[in-house]
Amino acid sequence: MVDPLFEEMGKVVPEGLLKGSWEGKDGAIYLPLPEDAFGGVIKGFVEKGLVLVGLFCEEGFREGERFTLLYVFEKRGYERLVVLLRGLGEGRASSVARDFPSASWYEREITDGFGIAFPDGPDGRPLFLHECYPDGFHPLRKSQARPREAQKRTAYAFKEVTGEGVYQIPVGPVHAGIIEPGHFRFSVIGETVLALEIRMFFKHRGIEKLAEGKTSEEGVLFAEAISGDESAANSTAFCECAERIAGTRLPARAQHLRTVLLELERMYSHLGDLAGMAVDVAYPVGASPFLVLREELLRQNRALTGSRFLKGAIVPGGLRRDLPREALAALGAYLPSFMERFVEAAKGIRSTPLVIDRYAGTGIVRRELVKPLNLSGPIARACDVRIDTRADHPYGLYAAMRLTPRLQQDGDVLARFEVKAEEVLASATIILQLLERLPDGPVRTRCASKNGYALALVEAPRGQSMHYLHLRNGTIVRYKVRTASFCNWQAIEHAVPGNIVPDFPLINKSMNLSYAGTDL
Amino acid sequence: MKDAVKNLLGRKIAGDAAVPTDRTDEEFERLGHELRKEVSSIFGRSLAIREVDTGSDNSPEIELNNLTTPHYDIERFGVSFVASPRHADALAVTGPVTRNMADALRRTYDATPAPKLVIAIGDDACDGGLLKGSYAVLGGVDKVLPVDLKIPGNPPTPEEIMRGLLRLMAAIRDRKATQHKHR
Repeated sequence: MVDPLFEEMGKVVPEGLLKGSWEGKDGAIYLPLPEDAFGGVIKGFVEKGLVLVGLFCEEGFREGERFTLLYVFEKRGYERLVVLLRGLGEGRASSVARDFPSASWYEREITDGFGIAFPDGPDGRPLFLHECYPDGFHPLRKSQARPREAQKRTAYAFKEVTGEGVYQIPVGPVHAGIIEPGHFRFSVIGETVLALEIRMFFKHRGIEKLAEGKTSEEGVLFAEAISGDESAANSTAFCECAERIAGTRLPARAQHLRTVLLELERMYSHLGDLAGMAVDVAYPVGASPFLVLREELLRQNRALTGSRFLKGAIVPGGLRRDLPREALAALGAYLPSFMERFVEAAKGIRSTPLVIDRYAGTGIVRRELVKPLNLSGPIARACDVRIDTRADHPYGLYAAMRLTPRLQQDGDVLARFEVKAEEVLASATIILQLLERLPDGPVRTRCASKNGYALALVEAPRGQSMHYLHLRNGTIVRYKVRTASFCNWQAIEHAVPGNIVPDFPLINKSMNLSYAGTDL
Repeated sequence: MKDAVKNLLGRKIAGDAAVPTDRTDEEFERLGHELRKEVSSIFGRSLAIREVDTGSDNSPEIELNNLTTPHYDIERFGVSFVASPRHADALAVTGPVTRNMADALRRTYDATPAPKLVIAIGDDACDGGLLKGSYAVLGGVDKVLPVDLKIPGNPPTPEEIMRGLLRLMAAIRDRKATQHKHR
């Protein structure tokens, strides 16, 4: 039987080239393309409505070519991914950002990391290397030494917005609250935002490079450090990669418990957002019940794993150790009362006109942006786009679950509130069901360190996280992460204009994007 | 009105059998009262902290924010988180110092009126932690600023942060006593 996705591809890719493709250990179709065929295939992918979920570079991926660009595409409705491989003879390539706008940041990232230029790209400014890095420094090249000190680059040029009465408000990187660092530049007329430009990567820690040379056992710690409140999702994605490379099948109990942790993470992460949104419209009475519930969940986390942020629990091959039976029983006894009180807390928000007045119609993300910017998670579901990695590219136990994504229509703050509120309850229900039929047995199996590479997608609380791992002789030669926040941040530049400045914190909180997870 | 009556007469959260009880709140309360005494005598009733994130994984921020939530509410013990370094007695720095944040950290420190304290919160802030040796990271906070207190942890819990603040108070008291002796 011909794979339906393969058949679909045959309409766009010349048959001779399709024969050169292979199936990866992750189930994706890897297709090397000669440069003269690349443009045509990209045009075909645009027409077919594919989504560019990731684009990254690896040095030494294949014999005979120094740099390989990997374009990871998704055709909505198909579980398998398509990865176009584009070998580069020299340090430059043509841009695809005009066809796939999400590529703009991907390409700028590649330029910084590897020194590969995209001369026809829409934005040639550096991305994660700020002015403190010297010119010609490209940290992800294999031969790159540490940057020399005291060699500052020219200042970063923000976009100019001019006109009568237009003024700018620069904010950050150090903010007024206890928030992560980032820079926001508002161009404002009166009280209304005309344009917003964001500059990120103040927290760039070089995680991808640090992971190189480590074993996958060590590497999972770096996955956890990507974004503290998404540590279960990111460590799961990392382990999925390692397990796919090794062909490891997890014991049933490990699968179940991992899923419990993943859904707990979604719950406490969403609760923080729901509380933060109420705080940002100056309604602490509405925020407090959510904060109380979240603290209780953090304590459940600690009882289960020893960490309030579920750190150290998930390892290649399963879990580091079994979760205490008393703690699991306590969680099962606790959740029904949690749900009851959560419903009350959400009602408290819904029945308060001053809150609804601020939430409704504020910070609208348009549905048309979801595909071109590769938006995912609650932001996408709040504008009626039926995507959820757990259902679309199921991993672990989700394949057997048949989840229905929770949708809203309006794409505003209120819609994001509702999606997250429903997801908290849905996650609690999932956990209760899992706890009821928790299988016995081991929680860890051997995950051999084999040579190979694999992609994995997971649905973190903020949306889809893409991980790519390449192992050679027992160590990591390339680790690439593209979190949901990396793409979703770009939605805020579209959602804020037209709103008043005081609504920015609210819009920002309703999206609750991770700075650490973007900056890596 | 109905809600208010229900709240007054209804079942209290702490009394709900299904809600896990542990000693965290009592212990925090005990530490808090101790801290309040120290803050009163050393800082004249209030200690103002400005937080700066220089590259954390965001979990230390969540715990610092938690200090102001209903379970903890650190303000009742005289500690507040302020919006500007100009209002601060102390900087609480989280994360290793990334190259991209070093300048902003120095400028925040310069904007803080002296005498000022620097507290490094979390393993990464203490010595670079897992991120040690990265091209993008200068190291712990003490690579850039004089650090008065390190609170390790991945991240430290609210309770551990409280204990850290108490250690800081004790250190200041000692320092004052020594200075006094040498005068």
